[in-house]
Amino acid sequence: MAEETYPINIWINEERLEKLQAAGLASMTKEVLAGLKVIAVPNTEAQRDKILKLFPVAKYDAATTRSIENMPRQIKDKIFDLVVKNKSLNVMDEFIKSVEK
Amino acid sequence: MEMIGHGGKEIIERVLAKDAALKRVAEMKAAKVKTLDVRLQMATEILDIAYGFFSPLEGFMTKADVEAVCNNMTLADGKTVWSIPIVYDISSADLEKSGIKQYDEVLLTYTGNPFAIFDITDIFTLDTKEVAMKVYGTTEDKHPGVKRTYQYQDKFLGGKITLLNPPKINEPFTRFWLTPKQMRAKFQEKGWEMIINHQTRNVPHTGHEWLMKGAFLGAYGSMMVDKPRGGVLVNAIIGSKRPGDYIDEAIILCQEAQGKHGYFREDTFLTTCSLWDMRYAGPREAIFHACLRTNLGCTHHMFGRDHAGVGTYYDPYDAHRIFNKVPQGALRIKPIFNLDWWFCPVCDEVTYSGLCGHKDKKASFSGTLIRSIIQDGVKPPRRIFRPEVFDMIMTCAEKYGFGNAFVTEDYLKNRQPVFTIEPLK
Repeated sequence: MAEETYPINIWINEERLEKLQAAGLASMTKEVLAGLKVIAVPNTEAQRDKILKLFPVAKYDAATTRSIENMPRQIKDKIFDLVVKNKSLNVMDEFIKSVEK
Repeated sequence: MEMIGHGGKEIIERVLAKDAALKRVAEMKAAKVKTLDVRLQMATEILDIAYGFFSPLEGFMTKADVEAVCNNMTLADGKTVWSIPIVYDISSADLEKSGIKQYDEVLLTYTGNPFAIFDITDIFTLDTKEVAMKVYGTTEDKHPGVKRTYQYQDKFLGGKITLLNPPKINEPFTRFWLTPKQMRAKFQEKGWEMIINHQTRNVPHTGHEWLMKGAFLGAYGSMMVDKPRGGVLVNAIIGSKRPGDYIDEAIILCQEAQGKHGYFREDTFLTTCSLWDMRYAGPREAIFHACLRTNLGCTHHMFGRDHAGVGTYYDPYDAHRIFNKVPQGALRIKPIFNLDWWFCPVCDEVTYSGLCGHKDKKASFSGTLIRSIIQDGVKPPRRIFRPEVFDMIMTCAEKYGFGNAFVTEDYLKNRQPVFTIEPLK
């Protein structure tokens, strides 16, 4: 059985796509659901629990998608900016530390 | 027209005509009867009792009813299936201050206006932890139904309710809130013999649309197709909201948009709402929904994956299995069980997990996921989400949501209430 990644799905709107293209990261996206572009930022179980605690409005969709949803857009923008800055999807430790500060 | 509801009992509206109500209020005031002002949850449930949504309940439950609900999933008669306690709570201090005693007749007010008569036949306490465990299967207050149970005051009043003052249902809900009697009249007008209920508290995506279409096709199978003999009833649950939920106006108007824009024929589709604060009781809430929709006159009820569940408290199909525990004939509505609908990139369509053989390629989507897409400022493709529904969300955000389609503190504080109780005159 594949390891759970508890992703935060960052859906790619035009503004985000421009940033990705400028950073040469457009290939980081994957296409799902009839052509939607998304970046799935993985979390460990511990990171998932921290995120749900830090952002009570967020919801872990345990029943269907097994992803962390309902994160406020501006928070996702910060995670997205870290992905672009680090050119990596493994940004959650850095992000959580920045929020906890 | 047949008015038989859940439990085989006739649906009787416990509502006084205006002249009689005015007379009763004057008499009660002259007799200086005790009064209690009720909060929104109680006001909502009083309406549900009075109009027969909760038939055969005629009032708030007595201790015997609550115990039977918890222990046997029936009312105190031991026969009528009922799964969720419907209780009126009050603090010991308020009870003492009011001087209310067993067998008192109490005048209930809402927002200060005369609302209903409460004939109190029982005053009791409950072990809320025990209630939580038996109804919700957990005592964790993270569960919203358990949290609500723990928030109840320490005393409970049971007894019959009679409505004095009908609600004014505010826009845009006016045309969607139909009482069980009105609902049945509507079905008759449409010539429907078969009514499939779709329970929702969501804006519809195409997974929901296909869920409804699949249920319609399945249930309609053996009926003559010479004229519309049945349809899908969307009965949206309108009730307490949490930040991040879709606003109520978006839910109801987007559901209606599916019919208005032809994704369903208008003669086989109807959008309505019921007022209820979801308890997220999973399997027990599924039974409750079956009882409620029986009272509305529905013949079938759809139950999907993780029906009325929350978090990981219930197995996704617990809400299906619980129907095996209900004695045959105890429910007058036929459950239609659904597995997942997902998007298959190979079939290139939204398809049913019970049919599609590309499970390893599937892209599951949920209302929560779609919400996340919209929150990110992305318009989902029409195969996933109908553009007219998306446009309606945006309209509702501007018109009702203070610029946001999702519940915010601003919305909770400043929204127009779904109903108001005006002075009785």
